[in-house]
Amino acid sequence: MKGIVIGQYVPGKGFFYRVDPRTKIVAVLFLMIGTFLLNDIYQVIGALLLTFILLVIGKISFIKVMKGLKPILILLIFTFVFQILLNKEGALVLDSNLNISLINIAFVIGLFIVWRLLAKFKKFNFLLFIAFIVGSIFLFANVTISGDYLFTSFNFRIYEKGIEMSIFVVLRLLIIITLSTILTLTTKPTDLTQGLESLLRPLKKIGFNSDDFALIISISLRYIPTIFDEANKIMQAQASRGADFSEGKLKDKLKQVISLLIPMFIIAFMRSEELADAMGSRNFIPGKPRTRLHILEYSYRDVLVSMFTVAFFTIALLLRINVLGY
Amino acid sequence: MGYITIKDLNFSYNRKQNVLNNINVEINKGDWVAVLGHNGSGKSTLAKALVGLIEPQSGTITIDGLELTEESAYDIRKKIGIVFQNPDNQFVGVTVRDDIAFGMENLQVAREEMIERILFYADKVQMKNFLDKEPSQLSGGQKQRVAIAGILAMKTDIIIFDEATSMLDPSAREELMSYIKSLHDEGLTIIMITHDINEALLADKLLILKEGEVFAQDDSRKLMRHKHLFVESHLELPVALDVANELKDKKYDLIKETLWAYVSMK
Ligand SMILES: Nc1ncnc2c1ncn2[C@@H]1O[C@H](COP(=O)(O)OP(=O)(O)O)[C@@H](O)[C@H]1O
Ligand SMILES: [Mg+2]
Repeated sequence: MKGIVIGQYVPGKGFFYRVDPRTKIVAVLFLMIGTFLLNDIYQVIGALLLTFILLVIGKISFIKVMKGLKPILILLIFTFVFQILLNKEGALVLDSNLNISLINIAFVIGLFIVWRLLAKFKKFNFLLFIAFIVGSIFLFANVTISGDYLFTSFNFRIYEKGIEMSIFVVLRLLIIITLSTILTLTTKPTDLTQGLESLLRPLKKIGFNSDDFALIISISLRYIPTIFDEANKIMQAQASRGADFSEGKLKDKLKQVISLLIPMFIIAFMRSEELADAMGSRNFIPGKPRTRLHILEYSYRDVLVSMFTVAFFTIALLLRINVLGY
Repeated sequence: MGYITIKDLNFSYNRKQNVLNNINVEINKGDWVAVLGHNGSGKSTLAKALVGLIEPQSGTITIDGLELTEESAYDIRKKIGIVFQNPDNQFVGVTVRDDIAFGMENLQVAREEMIERILFYADKVQMKNFLDKEPSQLSGGQKQRVAIAGILAMKTDIIIFDEATSMLDPSAREELMSYIKSLHDEGLTIIMITHDINEALLADKLLILKEGEVFAQDDSRKLMRHKHLFVESHLELPVALDVANELKDKKYDLIKETLWAYVSMK
């Protein structure tokens, strides 16, 4: 498992790569809060357009951002569906009965089988799933054949406000995720921790040592690939002694996971002791001031980003408290 | 008094049984000392005591006229550094550059100076083209060389190698040994801990530890003529050396040459 990348950092040279991590962290934070202050769909669409402009300025590929969305796609869909179903304000857009009948169920099962068969073409798996769901609802809503046995039927209504709200919520999430992706895509994990350290430095007054904190984070990040390698080795060693990690009953699997975790913990303990010795022998003393090889420097880019952030946040706030009379 | 003086040193982890027992050793500036002993004989414990990572129950360690105490440990460690056995467990930085910088950062070396030293010492251990590489992209031998650069960059003039070659493959081992030799040639004091007798015999001086006690210490050429010392401390003298020992009686002193040949053969 060589070369595992921690975080989503992708080396590049765009505008945001050369913005100070501290500026980026604070800006993203305020842009997110600003986004949550927006309270109607037109404002959110405006903010989304602005976010896309940021992507264009930063020469960040839209596809990479979309890939970042993948893990939360299900969340987005659920949010969308719930908003549509639960909101009952405004004009009625769709009113129909969902008939759960024998023939309909048979058709849906048929559709399901087709979906499973087609799912072999992994690429379209997700689109097919959507097609399956939509197809099923379509069947339930519209198909009634005389002589069919009707179990029960639901009233299915969609209101104008429901559609609006669901789009509003999903777009807002989209903005938040795009913003955080811009941050993680263009900032090395080490710079991110150093930025955090620098921002948290004032907490020293209440006894929180941000310097040590940042070191702990960066060492943890540094050891994740090593620990992965180790897990791999242990698994191979156990596989060579007949363990099978892919099959078996739940109980067997549990046993195998435990037989993997125990050596990993023991190694991790030994490692941390040796690492502490190595650090101590190179004169590391927690809490003692150190000079730094990497230093953070502001440039005109940071001024631009800050100005944009302040402007966005102020407008969002004014819209929220309705000063503009809008 | 030697450059490094260990006097009446006792140490135990559990206060019951001494792991180091009444150790008395003197090491001169520029010496290359091998510490030899079977597993558990106390070699690593001695190394940790020398860099002030553990505190002895009694006895003193003096380095360059400065006695090692809790207060002086920071200054002592400006003079003495240590390369450990496991290349992975001593790589602190995210990249080679960061790792070489780590010790200097702790010593509060100015940034410009740090950048210069990083280039200089990375070049010295032939890692200049790897400065932005992460540890997972390096071999064990390369990581050990980075560790050496990190210590040299702190301007130490004593380096302890605690079985630093034992996790490396034969060619990386040989390479690291020749680095150690060149460091010694430049005047650094080398303490090389090993349980590999072939490596140990490359040093000028030999210190044999047995069950926490100094079993023998002397010029390595002298010691290696006494086979019984090795046998009694559960160490096996290599065949080639046996042969060289035989030849020695016939006035061919080939011991040193035999050893180099032996190590490169491995
Ligand atoms: N952290 C520790 N706690 C308790 N006992 C230890 C510790 N480290 C080493 N020992 C014991 O001290 C003895 C010497 O260990 P060590 O110095 O590591 O030997 P060597 O490096 O020569 O193999 C061994 O018996 C070992 O079990
Ligand atoms: Mg040891």
